[in-house]
Amino acid sequence: MPAVFAPYGVETAWVLWLLPLALLPIVASGRRRSAVPAIAAAPADPLSRRIGRALTLSGIATIGGLVVGLSGPYRAGERITRIGIGAQVSMLIDRSGSMNETFAGKQPSGAEESKAAASRRLLSGFVGERAHDHFAVTAFSTAPMLVLPMTDRHDAVRAAIAAIDRPGLDYTNVARGLAMALSQFGADRGIARVLLFISDGAAVIDPRVQDQLRAAFAKVRPNLYWLFLRTKGSPSIHDRPAGEDTPQAAPERHLDLFFKSLTIPYRAFEAEGPQAVADAIARIEALERDPIPSTEVRPRHDLTGWAYGVAALGLLLLALAVLAEADLPARRAVRRIAADEPLRRAA
Amino acid sequence: MIAASPIPWPIARNLRGWRFLALAVAFGLTLAALVVPVLPVTRIGAEILMVVDITGSMNVRDYAQDGKPVSRLDTAKAALRRLMADLPCGSRAALGLFTERRPFLLFTPIEVCADFAPLDGALAAIDWRMAWEGDSRIAAGLSRAIEMAAGLGTDLVFVTDGQETPPLPGGEPPAFDGRPGAVRGLIVGAGAYALSPIPRYDELGREKGFYGETDVAQENRFGPPPSDAENREGYNPRNAPFGAAAARGTEHLSSVREAYLKRLAGATGLAYAHLDRPGGLDAPVRAAVTPRALKGSLDPRPILGALALALVLATLCAGLPLSLSPSARMR
Repeated sequence: MPAVFAPYGVETAWVLWLLPLALLPIVASGRRRSAVPAIAAAPADPLSRRIGRALTLSGIATIGGLVVGLSGPYRAGERITRIGIGAQVSMLIDRSGSMNETFAGKQPSGAEESKAAASRRLLSGFVGERAHDHFAVTAFSTAPMLVLPMTDRHDAVRAAIAAIDRPGLDYTNVARGLAMALSQFGADRGIARVLLFISDGAAVIDPRVQDQLRAAFAKVRPNLYWLFLRTKGSPSIHDRPAGEDTPQAAPERHLDLFFKSLTIPYRAFEAEGPQAVADAIARIEALERDPIPSTEVRPRHDLTGWAYGVAALGLLLLALAVLAEADLPARRAVRRIAADEPLRRAA
Repeated sequence: MIAASPIPWPIARNLRGWRFLALAVAFGLTLAALVVPVLPVTRIGAEILMVVDITGSMNVRDYAQDGKPVSRLDTAKAALRRLMADLPCGSRAALGLFTERRPFLLFTPIEVCADFAPLDGALAAIDWRMAWEGDSRIAAGLSRAIEMAAGLGTDLVFVTDGQETPPLPGGEPPAFDGRPGAVRGLIVGAGAYALSPIPRYDELGREKGFYGETDVAQENRFGPPPSDAENREGYNPRNAPFGAAAARGTEHLSSVREAYLKRLAGATGLAYAHLDRPGGLDAPVRAAVTPRALKGSLDPRPILGALALALVLATLCAGLPLSLSPSARMR
């Protein structure tokens, strides 16, 4: 196919098999039949011939236009690169059972909001405000779960976020969750990548897995934000444990140290209540407001109207031609016919 | 010479002639196709919660595709993806995973056409490695899935092979405490009818053979012993209430437990269908779920265009037999 036609397409291609019908007007005029003794007796008449050709072309245009219109032609949306605000955001959400407790570490009662419910409410707002972003959602507890692949369908993203305050599962297994969240970024280069990690705890990452994660982070190079939903009384990211400073004694602190050692842009936010979560999300949003080049696919352009327009024009001419048909009684002299031919055709 | 006797031009007769009328109607239809908006219509769709069993027995490869064995889970995923493509636009679907004793909701209902890409991607990404526990208490999971569907206001499509792990005490499922039939839907039985070995994986997810008879619990020995325990060899009320012999059985092999699933379906008021191939779920699902009136849209242009085309072809063909013969061709 020549490159000129490359951006064009049709919705139902089989309809185009009807296109040969457009050649029908060459053999069938559809005009009223009149008996004439000898057509050769009429002198050559350029005007009549041109009108005849015009009507044949009208017929071809009519049938062709209708068939093409039926097939649903369109021009494919082109990809345009624009400077805008947008990024690929991979959300990694902790679904361990403790997320269903309040920030005070209790079962929510009355107007109290669990950590999961607060994240659900605030993340929904976050998704709504960023129209150009693509989102992916990964959940994790004992095992990581791919909830939604990277998509720009924000309804689907909100549906996935709406499910995060359901009862959670067992444990917090951070390493596998991080690996899956990293795998959600596509191969596209030149798009800002954000890994938003929301959890209320941390776990020890096996040193062997640490190396694999380090390699994955170095390859993807996302901006990493850790929103740590801290339960009252539990250790902070920055607290040194009283005894030995091992990952087992202070997993949060050591996960933070691990993230810091990755040499990627990283910020940790510690939130001890819904308001603090809202502030943190607002700050992440502000940080990710840098204009970046993003590729956008414009919606495709429907060309059905043009096809029907051509068909309508052809039909108008055909209808007028039928209206202009004259009787041509056979008894008239051939001379008379020849003389009147232009008038008859032109009328 | 020309003016001497004008050729009769019967415009009134032409106006009444059927060829003019046909072309005029075709012209009108084509003009209408240019301006007509998309029409709102009501369609019959579905709102479903899909819950997929991702426990170990779903890894059994007892389906075949292109001559190669395919696991139950892969077949179920393919069938659900096909189902999503077959449902009319405006239908909505939510997705949950089942293992242990409860479903885990991945997302609330989303539209199957506009959000098809993420929906299809999420279905394709389902993996047994997402399971958070090894148990498979299907009756409990089904009962909670029904509650979840009721909460979401959807119908239920529950895909499982029906193999309870550990086996039920006495083979009796716990009583269903909901109202049967309050949630409509379908239990889809995955798996072949013959017993097949269950693949076994190491902690890194690599396959390492199959389960043997002694690797799995063949009998549930929690709770009180069955009533016939006294007749077992080596029975002792205190030291060996289940008898002295190790339980034997075929729990390490798996087939679709159709009788059990049909019984569960009967108790909960759901329908049952067997998954024969990666497809064909469309009809049983539509029969089982509540038909929902959806706002659909209909593009009337193809209808108008097709009518116009038929009329034009009819006027052209009216003169075809004669005009094909050169002597009568009108030029």
